[in-house]
Amino acid sequence: MQTTLGRTLHALGLTLVILFTMFPFYWMVTSSLKDQSDLLASPPVWLFVPTLEHYGEIFADQKVVNAVINSLIVSVSTTALAVLLGAPAAYALARFEFRGKQDLWFWFISNRMISPIVLALPVYLLALQVKLLDTHLVLILIYLTFNLPIVVWICTDQFRSIPKELEQAARLDGANQWIIFRKIYVPLGIPGIAVSAIFSFIFSWNELLYALVLTRRTVQTAPVIATSFMSGYELPWGKIMATGTVIVLPVIIFALLVSKHMVRGLTMGATK
Amino acid sequence: MSFLRLDNVVKRYGDHKVINGVSFGAEKGEFVVFVGPSGCGKSTLLRMIAGLEDITEGDVSIDGAVVTNVEPAARQVAMVFQSYALYPHMSVFENMAFGLRMVKTPQPEIERRVKEAARILQIEPLLERKPRQLSGGQRQRVAIGRAIVRNPKLFLFDEPLSNLDAELRTQMRVEIARLHRDIGATMVYVTHDQIEAMTLADRIVVLRAGLVEQVGAPTELYDNPANTFVAGFIGSPKMNFLTGTVTAAETGRVMVANANFVGGSLVIRPRRGGVPKVGDMVIVGLRPEHLDLASPTPALQLRTDFAENLGGATQIYTQPKDGEMITIVAQGRPKITPGETLTVGVAPEYVYLFDERGVAV
Repeated sequence: MQTTLGRTLHALGLTLVILFTMFPFYWMVTSSLKDQSDLLASPPVWLFVPTLEHYGEIFADQKVVNAVINSLIVSVSTTALAVLLGAPAAYALARFEFRGKQDLWFWFISNRMISPIVLALPVYLLALQVKLLDTHLVLILIYLTFNLPIVVWICTDQFRSIPKELEQAARLDGANQWIIFRKIYVPLGIPGIAVSAIFSFIFSWNELLYALVLTRRTVQTAPVIATSFMSGYELPWGKIMATGTVIVLPVIIFALLVSKHMVRGLTMGATK
Repeated sequence: MSFLRLDNVVKRYGDHKVINGVSFGAEKGEFVVFVGPSGCGKSTLLRMIAGLEDITEGDVSIDGAVVTNVEPAARQVAMVFQSYALYPHMSVFENMAFGLRMVKTPQPEIERRVKEAARILQIEPLLERKPRQLSGGQRQRVAIGRAIVRNPKLFLFDEPLSNLDAELRTQMRVEIARLHRDIGATMVYVTHDQIEAMTLADRIVVLRAGLVEQVGAPTELYDNPANTFVAGFIGSPKMNFLTGTVTAAETGRVMVANANFVGGSLVIRPRRGGVPKVGDMVIVGLRPEHLDLASPTPALQLRTDFAENLGGATQIYTQPKDGEMITIVAQGRPKITPGETLTVGVAPEYVYLFDERGVAV
C-alpha cells in the first residue's frame, strides 16, 4: 500500500515538474502555429486550426535565414575550437604536474564569475578598435572565452577518472604523449567531451547580450533577430514564436546526436 | 655482467627516501621475485626498472646498456600491472596489438604474433571481445599476452595475481611458472605473498623499508635467513621467536636460558658458526613445521591455547610463559585439549639463533 501511494505521489510530482518545464516550450510551438486572432484571444484558445503562415513568413524573410546561418557558423566554430583547444588543455591539467597548475585551474573559471554585462562595454570598445565589430570572428572569440573554461573543467574531471595505469601501459607500449591523448584519453573521455560540446553549442547558440552589442547588420544571430521583431508598437507574436521554434530545433538535434556518447562506464574492464 | 643490474639505486620523494640504495643483479632467463610487506618499496623499484618512476640516484642497466634516463618504451621491457590496465575501448586483439602498432609492425606479423600469444595463453576465442566482457582471470591473461607479443628483453610483473580469488591465483601461478619455463625470458615479479615468491622464484629479493634484507634462492632463504625479518617473512605459518639469555658459549655450542625450555635451557648449534658472549640476549627461532609432538627428546614445554584442524594437518597455538604465541604444525589430527601442557621436541639442525639485533649467528 505504502509503496503504491509513494509511487503515485512520485509520478504526480514528476508530471508536475515536466508540465512546468515543458509548458513554455509547448506554448511557443503551438503559438507559432496559431493565426493572429487565435494568438490574441482571451481566454486563450487550446484547440485551433494550425497554420504554417508564420513559418512561411519568416523563411521568406532573408534576414531570418541569414541569422540562422550566422548562428550556425558562430556556434559550430566556437564549439569545435573550444573542444579542440580545451581537451588538450584538460589533459595537461589532469595528468601533468607543473608550476602554477592550481592557479591556472582557478583562473580558467574566474571569467565566468563576472557578470557578462560588466565586460560588454570594454569588449565593445576593444572590438571597435581592432575593427572586428559585426564579424563572425569577434563572436567566436568572445564565446570561446566563455566556453573554454567549461570545456576544460568538464574534460579535466573526465580525464582524471581514467586510470593512470592505462597511460603507463601505453607508455611502455611505446606510445608518445600525443598518441596517448588521441588513442586513450579522447576515446575514453568522449562522455565529458560530448557534455562540454553541448554546453558550448547551447551557450553560443542562445547568447544574446554580446550578439546584440557586437553585431550590426551582417552577422546578426538568430536570437538577435527574434528580439528585433519586438520593435515599435507592433508585437508579431506568431513570427517571434515561429523564429523561436526554429532557433530551438538545431540545439535539440545537436543534443540528440551528441547525447548517445554521454554514456557511463566506458572505462569498465580496464582495471580489477 | 648481469643481464639486469641495479647499482646503488635511490628513490626520494622530497625528503622521504623510499628506496635506500639497492644494488642487485639478475641473470638472463632468471625469475626474480621482489618480496616484502606493503610499503617496502618493491613496486617502486619495479617501476624504476620499467622507467615509470625517475631514479633519484644510481643506475639501472639492462642487457649491458645503462637505461637510467631512457624512455620506458626504449627499454624494451613489458609490464603486467596489478590492475591489468587493459585499454577498455579496444578488443582483446587490439589490446595485444597496440604495442606492435606503435613500432609499425606489418599487419600480417601483428596477426601472427597476437595469435601465437593467444594460443599460449588459451585466449584465442576471446580475441574479439572487449575487456569488460572478460572474467578476472581472462583479463589477467590478456594483460600477460600484451606483454608476450612485444617479445621484450625483460618481463615485469607488479602483483599480478592479487586481484584474483584463491583458486584462480594458484592456477595462474602455475601458468606463469610454465610460461617462464616455455619462453625462458628474464622476469622480475613483485609480490607480498611469500608463497608466490617461494614457488615462482629462482631467486628472491627480500625488501624492507627500501633496503635489501637478503637475496637468495627460496630454499636458501628458508634454510639460512640472514635475520629475524627474513626468517619471519619466508615460511608459512611464520617462524616462532623466543627471547633468551646466553648462559654458556663455545664454538658450535651455545646454551640459551628461557623458561619455556625443558630444564630451563637449550643447547643450540649456531648455523653460521657465531659465538655470542655469556649474558647476551639472543633470539631463538623455531619453525612451526619443525616442532615435533612425538619427539623422544623434548625441548620445550608449552601450554595449549587452541587448535585448528586443517584436515591433513593441525595447527596448534600455544601460549609460552613469556613472549608471543607459538604455533606448531602437526601432521594428522593429534588430540589436543585447551590448557593442556605439551612437551615438544625439535631437531638441533632446525633451531635458528639470532643476536639481540635480529642478525643470524
